[in-house]
Amino acid sequence: MANALRLYLACIRNTLDAAMCLQNFPCQEVERHNKPEVELKTSTELLLNPILICRNEAEKCLIETSINSLRISLKVKQADELENILTKKFLRFLSMRAEAFQVLRRKPVQGYDISFLITNYHCEEMQKHKLIDFIVQFMEDIDKEINELKMSMNTRGRLVATEFLKQFV
Amino acid sequence: MAAIAVHQFAQCITCHAWSPDHSMVAFCPNNNEVHIYKLFQDKWEKLHVLQKHDQIVSGIDWSARSNRIVTVSHDRNSYVWNQEGSEWVPTLVILRLNRAALCVQWSPKENKFAVGSGAKTVCICYYEQENNWWVSKLIRKKHESSVTSIAWHPNNILLATTSTDGKCRVFSTFIKGVDTKDSKVGPSSDSKFGEQILQLDLSFSWAFGVKWSPSGNTLAYVGHNSMIYFVDDVGPSPLAQTVAFRDLPLRDVLFVSEKMVIGVGFDCNPLVFAADETGIWTFLRFLDERKTSTSGPKYGSQFSEAFGKLYGQSKYGVSNDAVESSRTRGGVHENCINCVVPLREGGFTRTTRFSTSGLDGKIVTWNLESQEDLLNYL
Repeated sequence: MANALRLYLACIRNTLDAAMCLQNFPCQEVERHNKPEVELKTSTELLLNPILICRNEAEKCLIETSINSLRISLKVKQADELENILTKKFLRFLSMRAEAFQVLRRKPVQGYDISFLITNYHCEEMQKHKLIDFIVQFMEDIDKEINELKMSMNTRGRLVATEFLKQFV
Repeated sequence: MAAIAVHQFAQCITCHAWSPDHSMVAFCPNNNEVHIYKLFQDKWEKLHVLQKHDQIVSGIDWSARSNRIVTVSHDRNSYVWNQEGSEWVPTLVILRLNRAALCVQWSPKENKFAVGSGAKTVCICYYEQENNWWVSKLIRKKHESSVTSIAWHPNNILLATTSTDGKCRVFSTFIKGVDTKDSKVGPSSDSKFGEQILQLDLSFSWAFGVKWSPSGNTLAYVGHNSMIYFVDDVGPSPLAQTVAFRDLPLRDVLFVSEKMVIGVGFDCNPLVFAADETGIWTFLRFLDERKTSTSGPKYGSQFSEAFGKLYGQSKYGVSNDAVESSRTRGGVHENCINCVVPLREGGFTRTTRFSTSGLDGKIVTWNLESQEDLLNYL
C-alpha cells in the first residue's frame, strides 16, 4: 500500500517538475492585463494538454498547465460517508484560509476536493523544488490527517455512547 | 570552472544588457525600473536608475557603436535612452501597440530596432531625421499569437521571429530611405517591407529564443517541448534539423560560433550543442558542473521499488513512506535562466565569453576558453 502511494506521488512529482516551466506572460486579449491563462482560457494556444493522474477511481490529480500558470486539482480518497464529511469540512477550512497558503485556490475545480494555482510569480519568489515538495507533502499529509480525524471521531463516538448507555445499566 | 564571475544584483532579473566596453550592465530587477551598474575595482556600484516605464520592463538592448539603450515594457511603450553628460535622456517611441511589448533588439547597423509584442505584431522602428522622431512600422496579421523573440540577420534586412503559436518566421524589413539596395543579399533581393520569406512549422508547442549564427547561414530556435531546431539555407528550400534533449525546455539560445550553440532555460544550467564536420547538431553536455544532490540516486528508483516489492520489501520496508524530496536543479543559477547575452570583443565572429541572468537575480559571466573539450568548436 505504501509503495503504491509512493509511486503515485513520484509520478505527480515528476509531472509537476516538467510542468512547472512558467514565465511572465501578459494577456493577449486585454490591454495591460496579466492574469493566469489557465483560469481565463482566452487563447487556446497558450494552454497545454491537461494531465490526469489516477491512483484509483476515488483518488486522482488533474494538472492543467498554461504559459504562465499551473493548476493542480486533487480528489482525496473518501471510503465512506464519514470520510466524505470530514474531507469536505477539513478542506473547506483550509480553502477559507487560502491566502495563508499563497498557492491554494479558494474554490476547487468542479469534481475535485481542493485546487492549487501556481503562477509565474510564485516561481519567481519561491524555489521550484520546494513548491513541488509542498504539494506532495500536502497530499501525503491530507490522507494521514483524514485518517486521524476519523479515528478520533470514532473513539469519541464510542466514549460518548458508553457514557450514555451507562445510565441504563 | 566555466563561470568566471557571479554577482547577485537583485531578487529576480528579467533581462540584461552590457555597455559597449562591458564595464557597465543594465538590467531590470523584475519591476518597472532599469538599473545600471558599473564595476569599480571588484565592486559593483549602482550608477543610474532609469524610471520611465510603469510596468515590468521586458526587454533591454544596448547598442554597441552608438551607445544607446532601448527598453520595452509591458506598458506598451518603448524608450530610447541617450547618454548626455552623466544623465540618460529618454525619447519615447510611439510603437502604436495595444498590447505589451515583449522583446527588443537593435539591428546590426543600429539604424533600426525591432520590437516583438503580445499584439501579435512586430514593430520595426527607425529614426526620422526631419521630425527628430522614432517612427514605427508594423508587420501585422502574420503571427497567430504573441511574438516571443526576434533576431536580426547580419545583413540588417532579414528578421526572424518566434511566436507562441509554435512557428518561426523570417521577414524582410527593407525600409526605403533607411536601407540601401546594395545591402540586400541572397534570396530576399526584391522583397518589400513586411514580406514573409519563410515560415517554419516544426514545433508542436510555443517557440522561443531565436538567433542567427554569426554568418547568418544558420538559424536556431527552441520549442517548449524540449527541442531545439537548426535551420540552414534560409530561403525557398530550408534544411531543418531537430535535436531533442531529455531535460527541461530552453528559453533562449546563443551562437558562440558557427558550430556551437549555448541554450539556457528552465534547467538552470547552460546546455552546449555543437555541430560536427558534416553539420549534424547534437547535445554535448552541460556547461556547469551539476550539483550532486542527495536525492539524486533516488530519482530513478521506481524500478528498484518494484524490485523491493518483489523481494519481500526487506530493504525498503517502512522507509518507503519517507518523503522523497525533489532534486534541486543547476549549480550557479538556482532558478530559470531567461536571458543570455554574448560578450563580444574585437573580432565579430568569435565569442568566448557570455553572460546569463535569471529569475534568481544573478548575472553570471561564463568563459569557454577554460573548457578544453569545447575549444575546437569555437
